[in-house]
Amino acid sequence: MSITLRIAGLLKAKTRATSLKDRQHQSNNPAFFILSMIVLLFNLSLFDTVIEWISLLVLCSVVIRCAIFFAYQKHIPTTRTLNLLALLSIVGLIYSAWPLGLLIAMINLLVLACALKLMQVRTQRDVYQLVVSLLFLIGCGFIFNQSIIYTLFYALLTLAVILSLGFFHAPQLATKEQLKRALILSIQALPIGILLFLLLPQLPPLWQTPKAKSTETGLAESITPGDIARLSQSSDLAFRATFESQAPLARERYWRAIVMEDFDGRTWRVHPERKLQRRNAQRRQQEFQPVLYGPSLDYDIIAEPTQQKWLYALDLAIPLDAKSQADIWQSDDFLLISQQTLHSKYQYSVRSYSQAISYQKSNEFEQQLNLQVPTIGNPLTRQWLKQLRQQYPIDADLIEALLDYFRQQQFIYTLRPSTMFIDPIDTFLFDERAGFCSHYASALAYSLRLAGIPARVVAGYQGGELITKSNQKQYLSVYQYDAHAWVEAWNQQSGWQRIDPTSVVAPDRLSLGLREAMLQEGSFLADSPFSLAKFTNIAVFNHLRLFLADLDYDWSRLVIGFNQQKQQEFFKSILGSLTPQRLALLGLAILLLISLLLSLFFIPHWLNQRKNPIQTCYKSAVKLMQAYVGIRPTWQGSESFRYSVEQQLPTKISNIFNAITEQYTVALYTNRATVDGNKMANHQAVKRMKSLIKELKKQLKDQ
Amino acid sequence: MFAQQYIRKWLDKRIPPANEFQLNHRSIFIFPAKFGGLFLALCALLFLLGTNYQNNLMLLLCYFLLALFLVNLLASYTNFAQLAVKLGRIPEVYMGDEVHLPLWINADKMQGNALHGIINISLMGQKVSHWFECDSLTNPVMLNYPSQSRGWHKLPRITFSSYYPLGLYKCWTHLAFSREILVYPKPIPCAVNVQEVDSQQDDTKQRETTLNTEHNHDDFSHLKVYQVGDPLRHVAWKQLAKGRGMYSKQFSGIEQVDVWLIMPKHASSQIEYNLSTLCYQILELSRSGSTFGLDLGYTKLTPNSGESHRVACLHALALYPQSNATGEREG
Repeated sequence: MSITLRIAGLLKAKTRATSLKDRQHQSNNPAFFILSMIVLLFNLSLFDTVIEWISLLVLCSVVIRCAIFFAYQKHIPTTRTLNLLALLSIVGLIYSAWPLGLLIAMINLLVLACALKLMQVRTQRDVYQLVVSLLFLIGCGFIFNQSIIYTLFYALLTLAVILSLGFFHAPQLATKEQLKRALILSIQALPIGILLFLLLPQLPPLWQTPKAKSTETGLAESITPGDIARLSQSSDLAFRATFESQAPLARERYWRAIVMEDFDGRTWRVHPERKLQRRNAQRRQQEFQPVLYGPSLDYDIIAEPTQQKWLYALDLAIPLDAKSQADIWQSDDFLLISQQTLHSKYQYSVRSYSQAISYQKSNEFEQQLNLQVPTIGNPLTRQWLKQLRQQYPIDADLIEALLDYFRQQQFIYTLRPSTMFIDPIDTFLFDERAGFCSHYASALAYSLRLAGIPARVVAGYQGGELITKSNQKQYLSVYQYDAHAWVEAWNQQSGWQRIDPTSVVAPDRLSLGLREAMLQEGSFLADSPFSLAKFTNIAVFNHLRLFLADLDYDWSRLVIGFNQQKQQEFFKSILGSLTPQRLALLGLAILLLISLLLSLFFIPHWLNQRKNPIQTCYKSAVKLMQAYVGIRPTWQGSESFRYSVEQQLPTKISNIFNAITEQYTVALYTNRATVDGNKMANHQAVKRMKSLIKELKKQLKDQ
Repeated sequence: MFAQQYIRKWLDKRIPPANEFQLNHRSIFIFPAKFGGLFLALCALLFLLGTNYQNNLMLLLCYFLLALFLVNLLASYTNFAQLAVKLGRIPEVYMGDEVHLPLWINADKMQGNALHGIINISLMGQKVSHWFECDSLTNPVMLNYPSQSRGWHKLPRITFSSYYPLGLYKCWTHLAFSREILVYPKPIPCAVNVQEVDSQQDDTKQRETTLNTEHNHDDFSHLKVYQVGDPLRHVAWKQLAKGRGMYSKQFSGIEQVDVWLIMPKHASSQIEYNLSTLCYQILELSRSGSTFGLDLGYTKLTPNSGESHRVACLHALALYPQSNATGEREG
């Protein structure tokens, strides 16, 4: 009995395989630390979207996980506690995320689920669920952020997820090796992924997707003079335009976005009647057909996400290709309106007719809209306009007189206008005489309406930074600080005419841009002292800024803007024409390429797997000996086998076998250390062993 | 039942029993794990969302994950194909104890260990009970399972499985080792009950003894080369310490009487119990280095001592009532 006990005891000490419970789920597995960091970093990348208290919860769970990982804390919160927390959180989520729309609610729910899961990861299943929801969240992150930086960031997060899975399945493998393996896997997968991306058809949306109700950016649907000054503090990109031919001159680049026809004495708005009319027209599918006239200009636009539907175009424009035509609604105030809210970058191509606006017809309804003025307020302006109208009965003369007033009364163009509360237009015209483009546009349009001339304010962008390169098309970057407002007035003879009072006050603004115009005041981007756009006078920074802009442009155009049409063009460039046979061939070729890549990845293993020649030699020698000595038990080491050969066979033979064994042991245990010397030494050892085996056979025959 | 038999037959053809294995395409089975299915569902979801939002980056992520899934097939196969298993010497098994199978993993690999990750081992068709990690491996890895009954037993097929590197695929194999194990009866403690047989006299004289193992220690006679099974207390430690090798002290005892352990006859209902008590007595006697014989009726083992005698006796017990007591079988 005691013997068996002793044996059992010995074995127990030797047994390495431990019970299943504590294997991968040891809380000090680096996988958990990496996963919690991923959750945290992802949360940071969507800080605006994730509700504050959920972010707080994420922080909590990360702290708990890290405390467990670094062994400050031993116990995971109990399941009951977590279930209670989960229940509370769901109630809280329903309360706080309901008004934010389905998409945001879903993202918040997922982040919340990840945070809770992270706290209580116990089983393998928990880890897998966490990993899958994290990967899905990373995918969702691309809805909100699509720039190169964010793409790199999310790519790193994905790599980290792969790394954590690696750690989870091999906790003892060194970090360096883990990283290497994760990288190798990713690098192998990347080309195949890209091939799939290029080959698999780009489908149109399958159904309407839930909208994100996040804060709108860019132009607003109403202008209270002074508002655009807020935009002028932002150096964010608004959109980029790529021109097929020569881009228009800087002072001609008026990008129309929103037309505002409703004025209440302070604020210009999109007219509710206009909205109603547009909705009706959309319901009836009666799209506005503009009269096309004069020279035209083709260009592509990649608009940054605004969470709105307004698109930008020069003067009067029509959507060019089929996809743009389907996606864009042409409205009768000559605007382009997207059917979908711009959640992410949106690319469309248009054709502009720079002279066509004046040829469009107008109706009574439109003119009435553009003559409405509030019945009270701004008495001085009313008085003044009454006088002017008597003085200049002809419309053109009146307009000229108004512009002359701006010109002669030393109006100042400033980004820091003082706020005007009561009778803002009176204050602006007769007291302050300093303002931003919206002040001028507002005052002029109001004045024109008072004089009986239909007029409206147009909000959009003016100018942009043109980048010309020898080997590619010109493109124009328009930033938020290029936001502008101007006036359109109706004339019986010449139709709608653009009048920009800013051109009178600050001609530099139009020809050179806001930066130059504000040089004296020093107020350009005053709130963001480190914006690269401020440092254009320093060559290095300017180069850097332009380089980044270039990179971003290519990224938006080539990757984000890749669509069905571009895919077909890409196929065409490879195949020549798109016949079904050729397409099938292309598909076959790409499949072949993928399998070729896969077999390429397989080669190292295949090379490794080829039997080791030293091993083979030794085994054949052992086989020869076994015929005389008896079968070598598997647990017998080479040394003790050599000993038994020595005892049972004559020295002549056993000496040769000794030499073979020695070669084998040396190769097995010594050469392993020196990798460089390995190949040469092994090669020689194989040679020697082969000759020894020949001799051995000869000796055995002679016996 | 029929299906199981069919599978077993098929496996015997596909992975025939052997003493050592280097896994290859014949012996490895690979299939997406549950997590792999979940992963593919994720890809599908990302594709739908990416298409609906016309979001190329999301689609790229989707295709990248899909490609990762593909590449993983190779990665998990190539990793698992590095596995080489050899069965070591199996320690003695007494009925009711566990069988300890020492598995040598990649023992003669020349290159550094290219095998990574956690590998689960279990008997085929049973729940995973053991696992080891290749990166912190100490050979041999022990697989334990309860012994069934006395006598020769084929080793069951052993399943090795791995989810490395990402858990997307399960690689597994069922290995059969061509070795049989002999399960000895369970030793049940009892008083040592030997019978002296005087070679001159025919009648047997029963003697109840609590065997005094010290009785033949009185007079030291000579040294003999140590053999496995000699009691450790007889080892001449002083000689060993002087570096002269390991010797056993021999004592000239009192009269050398043949001592026999005898299987009681006419007690067929208690065969197993009797075998167990005999087993205990054999172990005790061997431990004290006594000389004894074993009489099982059909089989008689003449009095002797030492390790090989002990093993022979245990074999006889294990195979009772058969009489062939050969050494450990090798396929």
